[in-house]
Amino acid sequence: MADLSIDFAGIKSPNPFWLASAPPTNTGYQVQRAFEAGWGGAVWKTLGEPVINTSARFAAVHFGGQRVAGFNNIELITDRPLEVNLKEIYETKRRFPDHTIIASLMVEPKREKWHEIVKRVEAIGVDGLELNFGCPHGMAERGMGAASGQQPDLVLAQTAWVKEVATTPVIVKLTPNITDITVVARHAVKGGADAISLINTINSLAGVDIHSWNTIPNVGGQGAHGGYCGPAVKPIALSMVAECARDREVGVPISGIGGISTWQDVVEFMLMGSTGIQVCTAVMHHGFRIVEEMIDGLNHYLDGKGLASVTELIGQSVPRYSNWGDLDLNYKVVARINEENCINCNKCHIACEDASHQCIDMLTNAEGKAILQVREEDCVGCNLCSIVCPADGAIDMVALDSGLAPMSWNQRSRIISGVNGSYSEAEVV
Amino acid sequence: MSAFAEFDQERQRIDSLIGQGYTITGIYEDLDGARVTFIRSEPAGEPVELLLLTADARKHVTALLVSGFRMVAVVESYS
Ligand SMILES: Cc1cc2nc3c(=O)[nH]c(=O)nc-3n(C[C@H](O)[C@H](O)[C@H](O)COP(=O)(O)O)c2cc1C
Ligand code: SF4
Ligand code: SF4
Repeated sequence: MADLSIDFAGIKSPNPFWLASAPPTNTGYQVQRAFEAGWGGAVWKTLGEPVINTSARFAAVHFGGQRVAGFNNIELITDRPLEVNLKEIYETKRRFPDHTIIASLMVEPKREKWHEIVKRVEAIGVDGLELNFGCPHGMAERGMGAASGQQPDLVLAQTAWVKEVATTPVIVKLTPNITDITVVARHAVKGGADAISLINTINSLAGVDIHSWNTIPNVGGQGAHGGYCGPAVKPIALSMVAECARDREVGVPISGIGGISTWQDVVEFMLMGSTGIQVCTAVMHHGFRIVEEMIDGLNHYLDGKGLASVTELIGQSVPRYSNWGDLDLNYKVVARINEENCINCNKCHIACEDASHQCIDMLTNAEGKAILQVREEDCVGCNLCSIVCPADGAIDMVALDSGLAPMSWNQRSRIISGVNGSYSEAEVV
Repeated sequence: MSAFAEFDQERQRIDSLIGQGYTITGIYEDLDGARVTFIRSEPAGEPVELLLLTADARKHVTALLVSGFRMVAVVESYS
């Protein structure tokens, strides 16, 4: 069986599965049960100055029969006193010395406030700190969370203040509510961050009730923007992780967060450069015990791949993620329909006809049976037909050998400039 | 006409010029497509210009250059 333990910026953990700072890590009772279930670490519900949470906090987007495709919340940080949390962290760490406990922190962007909370939290013994610069609502109105996480200079300054006194590794948790996450990641690193974690929740409004005209959720008829997470945000989180992982100026370990609910998701985040991962929504939906299946699945996968340690996955796919301008324009795939698996629903024909390149013909074969056939020379290999096809194995996307040397847009631009004797074309990154 | 047939017509024009000994000397792309100029030294003649409309033909003309066709011309114009 493979070794699942990780070393995350000097923080040892029995496995890469951590609970994200959120309702499941609100109390010692919960975190201890999570550790018993198999979670390797927990980022405690964010500690900071006292808040008052609203009643009606959550909402979900159910889509096409899938409950909780996305999850929306307007909850703030912990509403329990610091001392109560610290006592429970201490007790939990005493019971589970080999498990990882990270304290998530958020205070006003003032040096003395950061110094005070870091010293008090580290005094009871945590394995690391996570600075919450990501909460998009409530705290942001007071200059905290995403409000400071959206200002790279404030991220740098606050990280540096924490590093002045911190004795444990410092993880900076990034907000996705920004144009280019690598800018903030680089500033966190310049401030001395030992690692980054991403993503926090994405600005959202879950919906509007078309009967009452109230927002979803609403607090006595009034709504406010919330934070979105769960399976729907996974592609956004994964791309942000990938951007940070391939940015040489970032160069610190990454804790991947956002829409993770299966062991396959974990593998994807690790391949894209995460050293460990964190989960919130999937646990809120299904409970702590989902980790059992995650551990089993990951173990089988690693054994199947002949890997001795989960750390061998970290970053393997990062070199395969580059710029659009460097992709090979001469690479060609086409769709091929397998008659034996096709159920003749015509969805591929409609999709190609209405939204792609009109190259799936409706024909009749020798036995008089209606069949669909792709005119390969007109197929641009967009994948749409195979995406909409409901029958497994009915459409294969097949790579054709064009016999041509690879040629990217950027190479092409250079060639054209060379022929024209000038560098007129812009490169695409 | 199918997209492939449109491309094929343009490709045949390009390949025919190349077959006659023409060299690509300029590729200018704008909102209307790619204007590609061809010149032949032996026997000398007027430059020929093709306006390529299809993406595949615009790709083909540069793929020819990438794959080594008239590399001399490219290297010369770099130096
Ligand atoms: C109800 C709720 C409360 C949250 N509270 C916090 C918090 O206090 N501190 C924090 O850093 N992130 C908080 N988050 C964000 C999560 O830690 C996590 O970054 C986000 O939910 C994305 O992960 P997921 O898709 O697995 O849920 C909260 C998320 C939810 C849903
Ligand atoms: S891959 Fe795209 S272009 Fe090709 S047949 Fe399918 S839908 Fe049509
Ligand atoms: S979508 Fe799939 S199953 Fe339906 S007709 Fe096309 S190939 Fe057959």
